[in-house]
Amino acid sequence: MQFIAMVVDSLRESLDRKIFWVMVAVTFLVVLSMLSLGFEENSVTFFFGMWKQNTDHFNPVTLIGRRAIISGVVHVVLDFFLGWIGVLLMIVATGGMLPSLMQRGAIDVVLAKPINRPRLFLYKYLSILVFALLQAVLFVGLTFLVMGFHWKVWVPGYLLSIPLLVLLFSYVFCISALVATKTESTIAAILLSLVAWVFFAMPPIGLEVFEKYPELQQYTRSYQSAQLAAWVVPKTGDIPYFAAKWAGGGTALDLVPASVMADADEQGKAELEKTKQREEQLLMKNPWLSIGSSLLFEAVIVGWAMWNFKRKDF
Amino acid sequence: MVAITEMTNWAVDLIDVHKTYSKAIHALRGVNIQVGRGEIFGLLGPNGAGKSTLVKIMMTVIRPTRAMGTLLGRPLGHRGKLARVGYLPENHRFPSYLTGAKLLHYYAALAKVSRVDRQERAAKWLDRVGMTQWANTRIDKYSKGMMQRLGIAQALMNNPELVVLDEPTDGLDPVARREVRQLLMDLRREGKTIFLNSHLLSELEMVCDRVAVLVNGLVARQGPLGELTERAVEYRIFFSGDAEPVRAKIETLGAKLDRCAVSLPGNDLRKVNEIIDLLRGQRLTIEGVQPQRFSLEDVLLEAVGGGKSPADIPLSHPVQKDVKGQA
Repeated sequence: MQFIAMVVDSLRESLDRKIFWVMVAVTFLVVLSMLSLGFEENSVTFFFGMWKQNTDHFNPVTLIGRRAIISGVVHVVLDFFLGWIGVLLMIVATGGMLPSLMQRGAIDVVLAKPINRPRLFLYKYLSILVFALLQAVLFVGLTFLVMGFHWKVWVPGYLLSIPLLVLLFSYVFCISALVATKTESTIAAILLSLVAWVFFAMPPIGLEVFEKYPELQQYTRSYQSAQLAAWVVPKTGDIPYFAAKWAGGGTALDLVPASVMADADEQGKAELEKTKQREEQLLMKNPWLSIGSSLLFEAVIVGWAMWNFKRKDF
Repeated sequence: MVAITEMTNWAVDLIDVHKTYSKAIHALRGVNIQVGRGEIFGLLGPNGAGKSTLVKIMMTVIRPTRAMGTLLGRPLGHRGKLARVGYLPENHRFPSYLTGAKLLHYYAALAKVSRVDRQERAAKWLDRVGMTQWANTRIDKYSKGMMQRLGIAQALMNNPELVVLDEPTDGLDPVARREVRQLLMDLRREGKTIFLNSHLLSELEMVCDRVAVLVNGLVARQGPLGELTERAVEYRIFFSGDAEPVRAKIETLGAKLDRCAVSLPGNDLRKVNEIIDLLRGQRLTIEGVQPQRFSLEDVLLEAVGGGKSPADIPLSHPVQKDVKGQA
């Protein structure tokens, strides 16, 4: 009863924030854009059929065509619009929820209820994730229906993107929660969680540099630190690849027709090949190891935040 | 640390409550307070005495540095018992996106009140605090007084045995204050215990059975209101006629003669009768005798060390009980 009450309250709080409706508007714009596209055996139509481009690369009847369409939806639509813009908006929308709970005068009434502090914190945390879940359901659900009804590409595995997106949001939001329990400041919670989001992307980039220039690996301590950091921090970059994999899609490069690849010069071809190999590696990663270690990080951060909340005098 | 103490019959039994901030600021220095079941108890004290800290410790908003005691017979901080406690904090901030009715449902759900009971009680308490017509209006449209009424309603939604109200009449107009006083007395009749923290001493004086005065983190006075205020600090004997012939004798007794009254500091009834005899001896008419009793304000001022001497108390003192003239 208490958890449901907090979920409902968080939803009401979300609906009261303009940014929630901005996210809904973004979702509908994306859906409208997808509706304006049409995939046929030998062509792609744009702007509701007003412009036509001949290509069989996105033929929804063939496996390669389906894979290209799914890759496009996952890497462009899902990753960019929800994975980046959506998560950014959600961080901003939810950044104030814990600080507003902890405001003097607001927290007093809640703490006087028969619910212990760790549970109260956890319920609030989870209820905010439910907000992210709703946004993900709306976005993925609508784009799933457009793919099915409009493009005749039914991909049940694409629906697994919903929990993946909530995971992605939760990796970043746990930092927001920790900062909120320390500072009770909305601005600090939003800014530091965004900084953390950028920081999470650093260790994999660092590792790439070590792998690109093997001579750097002689700096053993730095290399090992990068490896450790890459294992410890949440793997936000893996999420789109797991979504693509489970939806039956491929890499972002699958979007590029073979004829375009063939036109590239030798250096360009080599670069494309390297990129493809890296993407293939990401597709082959063990999702449970990636998600498990990321969740472990999140659990530690949430536990820390919970401890702060438990020990705090309001 | 909250130690488990034996179960008691007190609604609130606070023993040796300490709170130290930053290892240097001693907000509470060993507070002992007992509140009987079914009584209205008032907590008063000057600013910074630690009243709000004490209330927040009772309600688990602040953790004590050291404390023993019980709330409704269970150790402080016992979550289950908090379901039987209603609380209105001072300077509360309710979520502005809720309506009055939704707010009551939300907080009652957190207090584990069933949906059916919530429906019934929300209607009842909104009506009782005069907020029915505003039930479906967003809280950010409410005035301060309306927020306060709603706050009182939310504190009662879980049908509490103990109601802790921090400045409940803050922001209310005189009519609403009287309604709140009436509500408190009705709640007492229903057997509920009420713990009031208010700086409005006259409000406390009108409803409290017992009070405690907190000064510098310690209980300076505690007891039944009547006991604390019953001491007369001065007697005033009103008469008509000329008392100049006995002025010297009256002043010998330590009293002061005005044009139509004699003021006798202290509580000595023998001297009162002597003065009456002197006045009657001059064939003056005794119009009345008024004992000037301690008010709650005097109790508070005395406790903080700023107590008035009886002679300082004005004639129009609010707490007066007439003693029939002995003419």
